Amino acid sequence: MEDQGRVTPAEIRQVDEQTFGITWQDGHKSKYPCDLLRLSCPCAACVDELTGKRQVTPDAIPKDIHPLRIQSVGRYGIQIRWSDQHSTGIYTFDFLRELCLCTVCKGGEKCQN
Amino acid sequence: MTNNLTEQKVLEALRSVKDPDLKRDIVSLGFVKNIRIDGGRVCFDVELTTPACPVKDQLKEDCIRSVRNLEGVSGVEVNMKSDVKGRASFETAKVLPGVRNIIAVASGKGGVGKSTVAANLAVALVKAGAKVGLLDCDIYGPSMPLMFGLVGRKPEVTSDERIVPIEAHGVHVMSIGFLTSDKTPVIWRGPMVHQMIQQFLTRVAWGKLDYLILDLPPGTGDAQLTLTQTAELSGAVIVTTPQEVSLVDARKGLQMFEKVKVPVLGIIENMSYFSCPDCGKVFEIFGRGGARKISEELNVPLLGEIPIDPAIVETGDRGMPMVAARPDSLTAKVYGIVARAIAAQMSIANMKPDMAKAVDFQWKTKGA
Repeated sequence: MEDQGRVTPAEIRQVDEQTFGITWQDGHKSKYPCDLLRLSCPCAACVDELTGKRQVTPDAIPKDIHPLRIQSVGRYGIQIRWSDQHSTGIYTFDFLRELCLCTVCKGGEKCQN
Repeated sequence: MTNNLTEQKVLEALRSVKDPDLKRDIVSLGFVKNIRIDGGRVCFDVELTTPACPVKDQLKEDCIRSVRNLEGVSGVEVNMKSDVKGRASFETAKVLPGVRNIIAVASGKGGVGKSTVAANLAVALVKAGAKVGLLDCDIYGPSMPLMFGLVGRKPEVTSDERIVPIEAHGVHVMSIGFLTSDKTPVIWRGPMVHQMIQQFLTRVAWGKLDYLILDLPPGTGDAQLTLTQTAELSGAVIVTTPQEVSLVDARKGLQMFEKVKVPVLGIIENMSYFSCPDCGKVFEIFGRGGARKISEELNVPLLGEIPIDPAIVETGDRGMPMVAARPDSLTAKVYGIVARAIAAQMSIANMKPDMAKAVDFQWKTKGA
């Protein structure tokens, strides 16, 4: 079993108007630009179920995209209601930790946090 | 004669008493309360995390022994109490407020006796002193009305339009069977199942419960998914029979709960063996030990092995779970042990900090 603290949030918050943030129980801090998070939506409408090909393109997403409401889904993820009315994606914590953009997670030497 | 007996000395002595499940001493766990010293008489409460504590008697003895050895003590009185710990902020939770622990009883495969196990575990927890609810989540084949002798009963509805569970053998029971006729089958597609489960979780007046047992339909389908997404499940128990074909599916069920981060409290082997009432000989009809194998392989506790007992079918069909009908039978005793093991594992899981807290917030924008 993998290390649960790595994929369990200690805090889920709004960082600023365009940034969503999670502090994980292992102490790591992840920041997600809203447009990228919307673009990464894992739902069946945004990702083709059979081919895995992404159906939503950056052009289709409004520049000022932001969440309206963020809600827990059970114990394993969150659902985001977006300002473009999209809300079908469940962002699991495993998925969000994988998505972390910081240079440490992406194999760089220095963490931006 | 001066008596140097102080509260501090009593606490020091009690530090030697360890809870074998939580693996810490009862003083640092905060279990010792209300110490009163009257001359040589010492009196205190020990508040456990569940009334169904498997080692309650042993802890009590250990407490008495450790304090009696103190200088100046002439008598010790221990009151064993309990305050069931639950998920964080259960009082204010949006879904199932007032319910401390929500435990799903699941199996990968049908026909392993899951409903029988759920019904008897619920009664066993009541007998141990807990407040227990039982939600029959099997939309297509509800069996709780029959097992609890409630066929034909209709639940009351409160003024704020919430359904009141029906109490039987001390258990607060809710089932789709109360709302439909038992002669017409429920033929619903996924979205209806989803909706009904949602209603059960949000529109039933459960009141204050220590444990809400969810009897899940077999498999890993719509109902299971809705439950794991809507309710903050505290833990899951997997029921299996000893055969390999059932074990394969038990593994799948276990993995589903791991995926949605619901702690698996353990695995129960049902129909484990038959103990002949005449000669006492034990027959392992379907083989035995399969659940033990999985528990070792996947590192989850084996909660117990429940025997095959023809009386369980007979009592169940008469609306009396075995634990209520024949409390002195071997089967009822085994259920008592399994219920205590579940309560202990739930307490252990609740001590772990690595649970995600529920969030629900609106995004703040400058324009708004």
